[in-house]
Amino acid sequence: MSLHDLLLAPFSYEFMRRGLLSALLLSVSGGLLGCVLVLRRMALMGDALSHSLLPGVAAAWLLFGTSTVALFLGGLIAGLLTALGSALLSRLTRIKEDAAFGSLFIVFFGAGVALISRLPTRLNLADFLFGNILGVGAGDLWLSAAVSGVTAALFAVFHRSILLETFDPVFYRATGGRGGLVHMGFLTLTVLNLVAAMQAMGIVLALGLFLLPAVSAYLWCDRFVPMLLLSIALAMLGSAVGILLSFHLGLASGAAIVLCLGLVFVASALFSPRYGAVRSLLRGGGRLPGT
Amino acid sequence: MRSHEPGPRPPNPAGATSLVPFSRLDPPGQNIVQFRGATVRYGRVTALRDITLDIRCGSSTAILGRNGAGKSTLLRAVLGWQPLTSGDIRIGDAHPQHARPRLAYVPQRHAIDWDFPITVRGVVEQGRYPSLRLFQRMGRADSERVDCALEELGISGLAHRHIRMLSGGQQQRTFLARALAQGGDIFLLDEPFAGLDLFAVEELSHILGNWESQGRTVVAAVHDPAIARRCFTRGVLLDTGLVADGPIADVLSAANIDRAYRSEHCVHEGRPRPAEAAEARR
Repeated sequence: MSLHDLLLAPFSYEFMRRGLLSALLLSVSGGLLGCVLVLRRMALMGDALSHSLLPGVAAAWLLFGTSTVALFLGGLIAGLLTALGSALLSRLTRIKEDAAFGSLFIVFFGAGVALISRLPTRLNLADFLFGNILGVGAGDLWLSAAVSGVTAALFAVFHRSILLETFDPVFYRATGGRGGLVHMGFLTLTVLNLVAAMQAMGIVLALGLFLLPAVSAYLWCDRFVPMLLLSIALAMLGSAVGILLSFHLGLASGAAIVLCLGLVFVASALFSPRYGAVRSLLRGGGRLPGT
Repeated sequence: MRSHEPGPRPPNPAGATSLVPFSRLDPPGQNIVQFRGATVRYGRVTALRDITLDIRCGSSTAILGRNGAGKSTLLRAVLGWQPLTSGDIRIGDAHPQHARPRLAYVPQRHAIDWDFPITVRGVVEQGRYPSLRLFQRMGRADSERVDCALEELGISGLAHRHIRMLSGGQQQRTFLARALAQGGDIFLLDEPFAGLDLFAVEELSHILGNWESQGRTVVAAVHDPAIARRCFTRGVLLDTGLVADGPIADVLSAANIDRAYRSEHCVHEGRPRPAEAAEARR
């Protein structure tokens, strides 16, 4: 097999071009968002959030069919309900926020699976959960472009607020910043990106495109902006290689992308020269937590 | 001056004059922060009860009291983001929310994620963020202020280090430099001495003493009465209500300490109140 067959020939198919472009666009916004998720210690919350989109998407499908806008709005409403609901529960009851989020998302996810199992169409649950690159239509591509553009623009304009609110929320509030607003805006952006990535990656795997490049970059960078840029670059590389792999080996596209990014992550976690596990072990023992 | 080693000697080569310009200084001795019956309740728990007190311009004041006595609540109320249930706080003649440019806040060290990807200079630059408009970039004047603040605290040589690669005292100085770079004249510090070794305590005490002699106002929550006695000229002793305020030696009399620290109703001793903890997180 020639290099051309390996790298370029797959993109003579339109669905491959669409899938790649959609994944590259979402790599930009996902790479940015992932960094903030990691730094705000919201990685697991992001995972819960992604599962909770399912009933919204399924209900939209049931009511409006394949309309991209409807799917998008359905997912958005379900995601925001989960986020708001768990914030309210943790404030009004004894439950802490992680338990509130964990409980709500699993209820939402269950409702989503129930809805889909009752759908009269030949709709495949696996496509919702794990993505199907063949399903990326022109509408999905526009959605990815819009979401990615909005995310990147907001990061460009508000990067100081985002950095400050993440690094030192008390200082941010003391200087007149609206911490709650940044937090909610951030959750909304995450939901938007998850919905946009749903078609190619599936809602369960989409978070991998955000999280894995960011965690890898976190292991290499000592500054915020370089971490953002490296995270974007890794996300793009991972999605391109992943999509090629999925084509040649017949793997699910979301899974192939996540596996490629996972490889980068594991390699970084082991071999990062400053913060990797190997270095820690060679120096004798791990780091003290919380120092 | 520029490249001196951040070694074991007191920083601030500038002596009694500050390198960093700061704004709107009231005449020394005037009351700069005024509490009038300030009260804060979280639900049914009273965190701060009917505080009436004045903090003088150019003084250094330690806020003392056991855990849950209202030290942090009082600081947050001065910062303007802890709404009062009743009463009033004024900075000069302004409401705290309108006095933000004058206030510089230094968080507790353990509230900071020291693995965050940021350098010393990156932290100090944050001090300029509040005065930048949305699309405005850091200008030359901002960079110079940051340079001055780094120099005044003797950490110019560490500017490009990651914040974890610092000693406790250097970490504390980084956040003091950020406060300086803000350009305010009232400094609010939350437990600045917590977790510092003996030498770093000495160094911090020296810096705060310098600030006081430059006419800056320093207000700090302090856990340890012995440190407060050494490093501050005035004290405020809290037990949700005001136990005493005035010169530090008078405030920390045996009788006052007994009243404030051996209180019968220390229900929340050693453990932050749920409402406060939640508040501190968001």
